[in-house]
Amino acid sequence: MPFAELAVVGAGPAGLSAVVTAARLGVKVVLIDEYIQPGGQYLKGEAFADTLSSPAERQGRALLRSLPSAGITTYWQTVVWHSEKNRLHLHRPQGPLTLDAATVIAATGARELALPFPGWTLPGVMTVGGIQVLVKAHRVLPGQKILLAGSGPLLLAAAYTLISHGLPPVAVLESSAPRQWMRFGPALGGQTGRMSEGWRYLQALRRARVPYRFRRAVVRALGSDHLEAVVTARLDSRGRPVSGSEETIPVDALGIGFGFIPNVDLTQLAGCTHRYAPALGGWVPLVNEHQATDVPGLFAAGECAGVAGAEAALLSGEAAAWGAACHLGRVDRQELAHHLTRLKQARQRQHRFAAVLNTLSSPPDPLLAALAVGDVPICRCEGVTAAAVRQAIDRGARTLDALKTATRVGQGLCQGRTCGPILARLVASQTGCPVEQAGFFRVRPPLKPVPLSTVAAEGVE
Amino acid sequence: MTRSADVVVIGGGIVGAACTYYLARAGVDVHLVERQFIASGTSRACDSLTLLWDKSPGPELILGRASTALWAGLVEELDEPFEYHRRGTVLLAEDEAGLEAGRQTAAAMQAQGIRAEPLAQADLLKLEPALSPDLAGGVFFPDDAQIDARRAALALVAAARRQGATVHQGAAVTGIRRRGEEIAGVTTQAGDFATHRVVCAAGVWSNSLARLVNLDLPIRPRKGHILVTARAPGFIHHPLLEGGYVSTVQTAAEGVQVALVAEQTPAGTILLGSSREFAGFDRSVSLTVVQAIARRALRFLPGLAQVPAIRSYAGLRPWSPDHLPLIGPVEAVPGFYLATGHEGSGISLAPVTGRLIADWIVNPNRVMPAAAAVRPDRFELRPRTDKPTNH
Repeated sequence: MPFAELAVVGAGPAGLSAVVTAARLGVKVVLIDEYIQPGGQYLKGEAFADTLSSPAERQGRALLRSLPSAGITTYWQTVVWHSEKNRLHLHRPQGPLTLDAATVIAATGARELALPFPGWTLPGVMTVGGIQVLVKAHRVLPGQKILLAGSGPLLLAAAYTLISHGLPPVAVLESSAPRQWMRFGPALGGQTGRMSEGWRYLQALRRARVPYRFRRAVVRALGSDHLEAVVTARLDSRGRPVSGSEETIPVDALGIGFGFIPNVDLTQLAGCTHRYAPALGGWVPLVNEHQATDVPGLFAAGECAGVAGAEAALLSGEAAAWGAACHLGRVDRQELAHHLTRLKQARQRQHRFAAVLNTLSSPPDPLLAALAVGDVPICRCEGVTAAAVRQAIDRGARTLDALKTATRVGQGLCQGRTCGPILARLVASQTGCPVEQAGFFRVRPPLKPVPLSTVAAEGVE
Repeated sequence: MTRSADVVVIGGGIVGAACTYYLARAGVDVHLVERQFIASGTSRACDSLTLLWDKSPGPELILGRASTALWAGLVEELDEPFEYHRRGTVLLAEDEAGLEAGRQTAAAMQAQGIRAEPLAQADLLKLEPALSPDLAGGVFFPDDAQIDARRAALALVAAARRQGATVHQGAAVTGIRRRGEEIAGVTTQAGDFATHRVVCAAGVWSNSLARLVNLDLPIRPRKGHILVTARAPGFIHHPLLEGGYVSTVQTAAEGVQVALVAEQTPAGTILLGSSREFAGFDRSVSLTVVQAIARRALRFLPGLAQVPAIRSYAGLRPWSPDHLPLIGPVEAVPGFYLATGHEGSGISLAPVTGRLIADWIVNPNRVMPAAAAVRPDRFELRPRTDKPTNH
């Protein structure tokens, strides 16, 4: 059975930073990722000469270049479908494989949150990040008339990507109000890079004459078998659509984005304690300053430990690698403490910034409450409608577990990754209970769909 | 606040839901108290099979048939659908010996007037082309049905509410009050109830409730795993069970027993079981058991190899020493009724259990004679007089 001193799951900025740091500290490392190559969502595709690149992107690309010579074993197109203590069960194109690892760093990133609304399952409606990947990694434009809607700065980044590829979006709709963005002020201290990035985005939008409209949201997507138009509406101060303010815009692609949700399946399956932290994007594992969870030998780095951006992910990957090296006895506690002190200030700055960002990106619950009604599907895998979910809540369901039992939500291919955060917000908005009381779907193997033959096999190479 | 109730049913699983429904239908002022939410325990961690052929001729089969008839009626009686499908089940025989055992089961059922059709190899493959071609044959039992236990429990509870029952979720029982020997009330996290009658339908958790009235029940949690595939519509047409299934149920072995059970849900996913083991109250999924189920499934259904597995789960069946449930009053504690210990027959026997409990409470003369076989007092339940022991 193959053995690794450290297995890192996820080859985005945090994972890359972790493996390169750990290898430098003399740790024997295996890096695993589901995609055909490393980089994660953030570094997917080539860097363009014409695209502005942030310090984090430059650093990430440098890590990618250094990977082949870093002495790291890599498994691409590899799914981690189960973990027990220090044993990972993998599915690869060549077949199953069981890997024993003395330490594990989960660097599984985050996924986007999309809000349901009438028509959101029409082809042509996708996530903002999905549009970015299409354009950046696959050089495919999702349509000719593209609208971006949701909340948070990712909308601006995606608009910028489209503009640099010669297809400015027809508009960018931001559901929050400019007033809310003022809260950015204090957190911008020392964020000159981020400020100039944001400034350049806005300049690009202006030059391309892309309307950037605050307090406006998509309330309906229209089309028979493909998106043809969207209905947008102004939002009142609480985030509710104002009737009479609707406008219909013909579009053939719509990007929706309301921030990110940490991917915590792996740490949940491993039995780590999790807490609900809206400032970090939702449920996150409890970690210490070197990203150690409360399961010995298991670390969580990057967005899966709290959505905080690529720079923070790079730093937390580094911290986790030091933590793992210390766990393995490669560095002593003093060296670890010394190194963490060096990272501390930068990390605190990133987290202050991220907290505001996550708050800004998170969807206004009254908007969700207004749009998730009637036959709008909430669980897309199983086709469970908002009406069915609301009826179950009326009958006393207060947790995702209870909703899953009363309807079929969360039982499909994605196992509730898409609908889970939406359902928790629906329970909260309908009952007045805090979102965290709704809990999360219990995670059980397989973490991702794998062929039955993989489950049946003893995974020996 | 203290409410008063004719009867308090403890446990909102399929059995408690059926008890509540039949009591409400009989005009009883019944309150259902559930620790978490409806179907939050074993009823959401099971398959959906109701079988007759695994029941022994005699009282067990009589109760099974009565329950089957009640289920068929409930399809009309309840307002909400619960994925009831009477597709029958197929017993699979790996070899000649297994086929002979199957034929004997078929003959025994036919003698009771239950339909059973032995299948030669070719007939079996015609019925279920996805099966491995080297199987010896099987038996088709056309009268068995599939029922989604969660939906059924919810439908029973909804119907009971319409008949006047009151349902309290998030209402864990913390005490059962008595005046002398008799039941006087129930204390829960959602308030107190003054009542003279309590029905304990708490499945594997019944012991901790019975201890509140100083009774020890011979019920143990028997864990089972299920592995779920992605949707593969039309892969199989009937629930399939390997012939060895019954012996895994009846063995007293402590270790893990695995026998194939495969059924397709209306959504198109395939539920693969089954396992039985005594592992306390631990509901975590064990990879070795899930792997054993996957291997057994591939033995019978080789085409599943490339079908994705998407989920697994484990549940706890309330095992009783003679494989029969405990349904009815406990003489030593007047007013205390049991409806528990159904192991894997909870869905099958839920309606007849509810009917029996309603009869015991409303009109004991109407209780059917076969119910004598499932009376709790066959285990000589006596209140503990010594100091409580730790279990």
